[in-house]
Amino acid sequence: MPRYFADSAESIVADALAGFASAHADLVSHHPDHGYLRTRNRSPERRVGLVSGGGSGHEPLHAGFIGAGMLDAACPGRIFASPHNRQIFEASRAVAGPGGVLHIVKNYTGDRINFGIAAERLAHEQIPCARVLVDDDLATDSEDIVVGRRGTGATLIVEKILGAAADEGRGLDELAALGAEVARRSRSLAVASAAHTTPGTGGRAFELPDDVLEFGVGIHGERAEGTTPVMPLGQLVRTMTTRLLAALPDTPRPRVLALVNGLGATTSLELYGIHHALTAALDDTGVALDRSLTGTLVSALDMRGFSLSLLATDDELLRLWDAPARTPAWPL
Amino acid sequence: MSATPTSAPHHLTYDTTAAWLSRFATTAESVEPELTALDQRAGDGDFGTNLAGGMAGVRRALDALSDAPPAGRDSPAVPLATAARVFLDDVGGTSGPLFGLLLQELATAVATNPATAGTRELAAGTAAGAAAIQRVGEAEVGDKTLVDALVPAALALAECAPDTEPGQSLHQAAAAAHEGARATTDLRARRGRASYTGDHARGVPDPGAMAIALLFASYDDALSSLHQLP
Repeated sequence: MPRYFADSAESIVADALAGFASAHADLVSHHPDHGYLRTRNRSPERRVGLVSGGGSGHEPLHAGFIGAGMLDAACPGRIFASPHNRQIFEASRAVAGPGGVLHIVKNYTGDRINFGIAAERLAHEQIPCARVLVDDDLATDSEDIVVGRRGTGATLIVEKILGAAADEGRGLDELAALGAEVARRSRSLAVASAAHTTPGTGGRAFELPDDVLEFGVGIHGERAEGTTPVMPLGQLVRTMTTRLLAALPDTPRPRVLALVNGLGATTSLELYGIHHALTAALDDTGVALDRSLTGTLVSALDMRGFSLSLLATDDELLRLWDAPARTPAWPL
Repeated sequence: MSATPTSAPHHLTYDTTAAWLSRFATTAESVEPELTALDQRAGDGDFGTNLAGGMAGVRRALDALSDAPPAGRDSPAVPLATAARVFLDDVGGTSGPLFGLLLQELATAVATNPATAGTRELAAGTAAGAAAIQRVGEAEVGDKTLVDALVPAALALAECAPDTEPGQSLHQAAAAAHEGARATTDLRARRGRASYTGDHARGVPDPGAMAIALLFASYDDALSSLHQLP
């Protein structure tokens, strides 16, 4: 594994978790026996614990968003592999409030099954549990895809808004409904100019010629359905934005919250340039940009790419987005 | 099965459920190469190993229990709950923990009536296990998964009179599960790892479904061996 600063593909996740726990010891505690991280601070109003998780390699998602105003616990799996149901079950038991526990799950088969098994175990212990499924990836919106759209960048938006709502003492059903609504109003699309490095092999997950982009790429090295020739950035972002806006549900006034997200090896310099192009594209279409967030937040190891996520917002969602949060990676 | 002993116990006991699982552990170990071969042709190749490893863990947990005070060994639910915990906590992959859900529901159903648990509880537990697995895995009969064996087994148990001797009703369940597992041979998988291999899975029965059939069949064998004890 020559390209990563890590001793081996086997140790990369465990070493990072240990380091994360010590770097943020004031905010999170690490429970290595059961494989989860949990917050040290929590609003006294919160009645429902929020738990998320998934394969590693998407940092700072999810562990970076544990803390007051966001998640109560996160369960990291191996690189791009679902966490074990035991991690999710133990984390959920540890952070469940009097109103139970809500699972925020990206739509992938392994994650659905392992969170589902944990939910069955929680039911056996009479711990109320519900699930929000995030399925925002426009590239996988096809009737041929039986398992539905993948869950990607909008997961962070769901975690932020639900965190704020949970801090207001809302109940499980209300939070689950709110999460489903945020997911329904969110779509994402990603492009890449180069695949990530696979830790096990040290090689690129796939190869791309210099003059094309993978258009609609996944966050695990899943190739897109197609490629597109390299084009000016403004044109690329406008194409993506137009498709995203067309997929959002109709709202009385077109207004969005935007996440400009790096996939791991895209610089801040580039991401802000992309944000500039996004602003222009929205201006052209008369859509108001209410809030935005730019950074490497839902990554795919060191993929050279970016994703755009748009949420069709309203005053209430904005209020929850603006609520304070204190976690290792929340930037606002 | 004609070998069912005439003195078959009318209710489940700690000894019969422990012997049942122990017998299934032996079976899982002996068929591991076949299950692995099936899973290599149609899935990701780890099912046989996970099942055998999980059942080896169950056997160790049951051995540890045999040294526990008798109070810990007074219910037929205890071995089932022990096995459920091992499968849910310690087995990797997807099918293993789903197996754990079935065992958990069987344990819960048997625990509602530990002194007289029998066919009624086995039917309730199997139906609840099938429902839980379907809630989680979203598979229907015909998708070429362990559900193809489990749902027929639950139906067979439900059709038995509630006072049927457990060996007899589990024998019926095993036959129905076996039939369901065999019927997966010609199917194209729609769920699980095998769904990614398309037509490669045709001609190969689903290993998870086969394992469900073997689980129910192991009770008969366990009773025979219990009765052969001096």
